[in-house]
Amino acid sequence: MSEVRTLDVSGLKQYEISNQAPLWWGQLMIVFIEGTMFAILIAAYFYTRLRMDVWPPPGDQYPHLLLPSVALIPLVLSCLGTYWAGDSAKKNDRAGMLGGLGLNLVLAGIALAMRIVEWHSLNFNWMTDIQGSYVWAFLGLHTFDYIGDLVFTAVLFVLIAIGRYGPKQRQGVYVDSVVWYFLVAIWIPIYVVIYWGPVIVGTQQ
Amino acid sequence: MTASQDIYPQTPNLAHDVDQLERSWRHPRGIFGWFSYTTHQAIGMRYIITAFIMLLAGGVEALLMRTQLMHANNGFLSADRYNELFTTHGTTMMFLFAVPMMEGMAIYLVPLMCGTRNVAFPRLNAFGYWIFVVGVLFLYWGVFTNAAPDMGWFAYPPLSGPQFTPGKRTDYWAQMITFTEVSALCVASELIVTISKMRAPGMSLNRMPLYVWSILTQSFMVIFAMPAIVLASSYLLSDRTVATHFVNPAEGGDPLLYQHIFWFFGHPEVYIIFIPALGFVSAIVVAHARREIVGYTAMVLSQIANGFIAFGLWVHHMFATDLPQIGAAYFTASSMMIAITSGVQIFCWIATLWSGRPRLTTALHFVYGFIAIFVLGGLSGVVLASIPLDLQVHDTFFVVAHFHYVLIGGAVFPLFGAFYHWFPKMTGRMMNERLGRLNFWVLFIGFNLTFFPMHILGLKGMPRRVYTYSPEMGWDQLNFLATVGAWVIAVGGLLFIANVLWSRKKGAIAGNNPWDADSLEWAAASPPPNYNFEYLPAVTSRYPLWVPGADRTFVTGTRSDRREVLVTTLMDAEPHHRYILPGPSIWPLVAGICVSIGFVGSVFNAWYVTWGAIISGLALIAWFWPKRPLEPADE
Repeated sequence: MSEVRTLDVSGLKQYEISNQAPLWWGQLMIVFIEGTMFAILIAAYFYTRLRMDVWPPPGDQYPHLLLPSVALIPLVLSCLGTYWAGDSAKKNDRAGMLGGLGLNLVLAGIALAMRIVEWHSLNFNWMTDIQGSYVWAFLGLHTFDYIGDLVFTAVLFVLIAIGRYGPKQRQGVYVDSVVWYFLVAIWIPIYVVIYWGPVIVGTQQ
Repeated sequence: MTASQDIYPQTPNLAHDVDQLERSWRHPRGIFGWFSYTTHQAIGMRYIITAFIMLLAGGVEALLMRTQLMHANNGFLSADRYNELFTTHGTTMMFLFAVPMMEGMAIYLVPLMCGTRNVAFPRLNAFGYWIFVVGVLFLYWGVFTNAAPDMGWFAYPPLSGPQFTPGKRTDYWAQMITFTEVSALCVASELIVTISKMRAPGMSLNRMPLYVWSILTQSFMVIFAMPAIVLASSYLLSDRTVATHFVNPAEGGDPLLYQHIFWFFGHPEVYIIFIPALGFVSAIVVAHARREIVGYTAMVLSQIANGFIAFGLWVHHMFATDLPQIGAAYFTASSMMIAITSGVQIFCWIATLWSGRPRLTTALHFVYGFIAIFVLGGLSGVVLASIPLDLQVHDTFFVVAHFHYVLIGGAVFPLFGAFYHWFPKMTGRMMNERLGRLNFWVLFIGFNLTFFPMHILGLKGMPRRVYTYSPEMGWDQLNFLATVGAWVIAVGGLLFIANVLWSRKKGAIAGNNPWDADSLEWAAASPPPNYNFEYLPAVTSRYPLWVPGADRTFVTGTRSDRREVLVTTLMDAEPHHRYILPGPSIWPLVAGICVSIGFVGSVFNAWYVTWGAIISGLALIAWFWPKRPLEPADE
């Protein structure tokens, strides 16, 4: 090849732990997809409510508000762990990553345990009636994602702990936070709908 | 760092780099290796071939139906078989042919047009393909074991509910939808990221080829529309398998809600198929009219507007339900609005052709055919957007005629044009032009012969989805014409296949850029090597190959001893960092099989959701488990 105009990029970094990384954008796509799904599900809940004379359907208890509300505290705080881990991933600070991921796992685990305890107090399931179908759809879909993210956070924790990691895994720690922030943020409207919904848009009280 | 300040003349060591690129992008060997491919050309071609087989399957189903309707009181098919055929035909064409075909073309073309070496997530790409294949096998397993769906391709409850369609056929259908959703979402995500972050340096958004714009629009539509069908098909499936009540009116559920959610997906779905086809048309028009597109900005804006408006039209599929008048009127207005954005594009193409120096190639024949047929389909669409007229012809053959005009005219004709246009790139050989023109005319005549009479049949009151009719209705002659047309289309299809088979072996050698076209894919060899370009290109123009050769710029400094590409910024495509793409891997296939076990099993027993999730989780962990040596090393 004879002399040509070239643009030399050999000085550029070999990887990037920030919102410029393709992987970060990939996580953003997951957020768009799941956000749309939950938005439509919330819309469908209210659509269904409008077509019913009595809400919640007769026989369904009003959900308890205390435990789900208290469970929000560890859930929201778990984002601190995520932030700490992501920030440490950028700086390649192993202790910080372990601390952040660990804090996230513990707090998210507590919130999950509280959610499961709360399930057992519901006197309806998905087969009982339409409200049951919706409440359990929200719970099922969100908890499925929630556990999935916890498992992968745990895997990252193990990888960092045993030292089997490089920039790519640190990038994993960083981008994992995108989905976690989303799962926490989307839970708040879902919480309002399934626990406060019967109170706010119900026929009694 | 900006592109301009670092551009300087240099003499790269081409032979050395190409040798290393060949080695680092080589496919693994053997059958096991074949299942591990992750290059976009291989995966794209697999999508295209699989979807083409589905086009043939859907075509055969259509031929059987048309043969049944050839004359009154025909006994060729039973009523049940006819129901299965029209459902399988619609399902196959929408979910297993049209969308995957458009995705396959995009997977093949987008990285080339963006001037990079692969899609952003090559293994996700492979995973999406395997999931799609299992979806195909699952539906057709049902078809061949006498469990084909028979409730129409949109599966309205209560007909599709447990009470009126017992057995497994609807469950197979609903879960097949899940497979295609997952696959489509994988492709959309990776294409958005590829287009956003991996364009050649200098290819700012306003220099992006219109085809790439169309794929960006389409991918975002997939992202926002597919979650709706996830819900619709899950509603249906969970009502049938675990006794939820989402669409069960007896327990407060609402069948109309299913229709809303289905069409909130279903209408954008049509544009998901048709917007990439508009991208084909733009690419073909520019290359074959040999001039720049007229109204680039107007084209981009109307394409994006199409994407937005598509989400505000869905109720026009439901005018025959008891919706409030005011709501329905709004959807009439929005449905008519789509004629504006489509019209802008049509006029831009006509203006480009008018003022260019068009070469009357087969590809351009298909574009002309597209304009003629699509405009007719658009006109019957404006008619259908009006509520009183819609109520009159609702569920008649008029509707069948309309959507075949817009879908075949709007998507399949451009697709065939695209095959003729990009076949030289994909195979290295030209298709036979004389056979191509014959192919076009046979398809064009066959198409109009089949579907034009259906307008009249619909106006005469012939409902769709009836397996026969009595002679006193007076529908015989037009139906016979339509059936003859269907067989003519079949001949056209065979001509195309013959042309492909002949041209692959005997076609003239194409060279890199046989059409003297403008966009970057034509800078690569034909067929492109696994790494696409020896040196990644940098661009300074909207039409990079029409820039004089001495002014072209190439990127150096990406490593050729591993699969490395360049990540650029979103708006201006300035070089940002280097990115190592993963190589071949068997794990996408393994993960695909695990996910499929969960999906297929859950049709029979809900616990498979749990088992499927566990084994899929394990497969994903194995997929992501870091292999030594870790790349990249810490700096």
